Amino acid sequence: MRDTVDTITKYVLVFLMGLLVVDVVWQVFTRYVLASPSIFTDELARFLLIWVSFLGAAYASGQHMHLSIDLLSHRLSPAGQKKLAIFIHCIVLLFVITVLVIGGSVLVYYIYIYGQLSSSLQIPIAYVYSIGPISGLLILYYKLSDIKRIVNQTPVEYIENL
Amino acid sequence: MELYEILVLVLSFVVLLGIGVPVAWTLGISGVLTILLSIETITAFTTMAQRFVTSLDSFTLLAIPFFILAGQLMNKGGIATRLINFAKNVVGALPGGLAHINVVAAMLFGAIAGSSVAAASAIGSILGPRMEKEGYSKEFGAAINITSSTTGLIIPPSNTLIVYSLASGGTSIAALFVAGYLPGILVGLSLMGVAAVWTIRKNFPVGERGTFKELIQSFISAFPSLFLLVVVIGGIIAGIFTATEAAAIAVVYTLVLGYYYNEITFDNLPDILLDAVKTTSIVMLLIATSVSMSWVMSFESIPQAISDGILSLSNSPVVILLLINMILLFVGMFMDMTPAVLIFTPIFLPIVTELGMDPVHFGIMMVLNLCIGICTPPVGTLLFVGVSIADTTIPKVIKPLLPLFAAMIIALLLVTFWPALSMWLPSLFGLT
Repeated sequence: MRDTVDTITKYVLVFLMGLLVVDVVWQVFTRYVLASPSIFTDELARFLLIWVSFLGAAYASGQHMHLSIDLLSHRLSPAGQKKLAIFIHCIVLLFVITVLVIGGSVLVYYIYIYGQLSSSLQIPIAYVYSIGPISGLLILYYKLSDIKRIVNQTPVEYIENL
Repeated sequence: MELYEILVLVLSFVVLLGIGVPVAWTLGISGVLTILLSIETITAFTTMAQRFVTSLDSFTLLAIPFFILAGQLMNKGGIATRLINFAKNVVGALPGGLAHINVVAAMLFGAIAGSSVAAASAIGSILGPRMEKEGYSKEFGAAINITSSTTGLIIPPSNTLIVYSLASGGTSIAALFVAGYLPGILVGLSLMGVAAVWTIRKNFPVGERGTFKELIQSFISAFPSLFLLVVVIGGIIAGIFTATEAAAIAVVYTLVLGYYYNEITFDNLPDILLDAVKTTSIVMLLIATSVSMSWVMSFESIPQAISDGILSLSNSPVVILLLINMILLFVGMFMDMTPAVLIFTPIFLPIVTELGMDPVHFGIMMVLNLCIGICTPPVGTLLFVGVSIADTTIPKVIKPLLPLFAAMIIALLLVTFWPALSMWLPSLFGLT
């Protein structure tokens, strides 16, 4: 299951990043070569950056790539390390649920009701902001699956699998 | 009163970071906890969610993923090898030849790429094994590679200077870029000085002198890569491109070059894109949470409180600049560069502009200062990369790192108290 989620996220990310490159290259091309700047590329690029960043951050979170200080963990017993890892995952989980999922959803709802459209693409701004709760849910999934895995391991197994 | 808010912010930050919560989340969590003291719960959550998104909604920030991608393409596309070869023919015959090659190659790489991690991994993985074979210790090789990669963050193009431009409210990227050249070269030269003394004392081998013909050949082979410098920096300085457009051009240029060198194909391109996405989104999450944190701080008028505090300690510019540098060195040990720039620029910039310092000069000073921080434990992005590439451990590289840090601190003091070092070139180009 987790592999499938990873693979799908990976494909979406590579596609969005590729699109971002093409979009900005097109902007430069239309501005300097065709001398008639494209009107939608600037906005599309900004929206794509937001999507790539949030979705990528969720993916990187699943890969445990966000930088942290692990000095405390090294001083603990295997059982202590296991408990600490679960505790850290829970803190991040709490933040993601409150701010990204709940805060993000309420925000998307308000913006959707307000019906604001983007200035050049004329798409609802709510779509752009929806990546907040989407990436929040993805991190939620990763964190829950991490916690489940750690809980089911003995402390020594947990250390060996780090 | 701001004291209570400052206490919650600092305490939650230190505790969460200390127990091992990733830096990016720590920034976000401390921000939320602090803002919860002042506004109602759901509003606090939605405000923070909104801040995260809006802090990334910028065309200037787009330069960062493109410079990262261009760096990855250079790394995989055979450009690093050609730059190293050229560096070998220029400085290889000096005492401690390989160490100098490492520094010069890092500076050349830094002059065409925007981030330092790509330089550290590309150059370290090529030169590290060769240094070991010639009798250098692994740890010394790693230390040289780690510190010399920082020059790429001062020598333009530089993602960190782009972040500073945003944090300082739109300081000219062109001016910052040009201002970085001399300080970046100064750092490189001071590292080479330490390497020379060290290798003479340890009797490390002198590399063989290449012929003039080899020098020319290696230059010709490196020329297409070095020409990128003219396109990107030239374009930005002349005001032809924005930084983002220049970065996009760098991507296309390196892509074509890597394809021509047969190093980049349709098969490995998706992996390169994914690597760039990972690095980008890690930086972007840090930007989103740091900008939000910075917003919370100004909402609670914390920067004002800190600057009043500093200005009440002394009114001597020398003392204040030394104090700011010491705070930044300390902060740099625990915080990655991007959040440190985003959080501390709004705090310190008003103080130093009051003292008559140019925002461009301050930006170079701050970035150079934080370059030392990314080489120090416990949090040092470059340290981690350099150590893992050299296959050694952090405690072992500390000893060879110390004299290199001393050299960087001397360079930092020169940059701090000698404004012309940063400001002369930009004024020559009429950018200030």
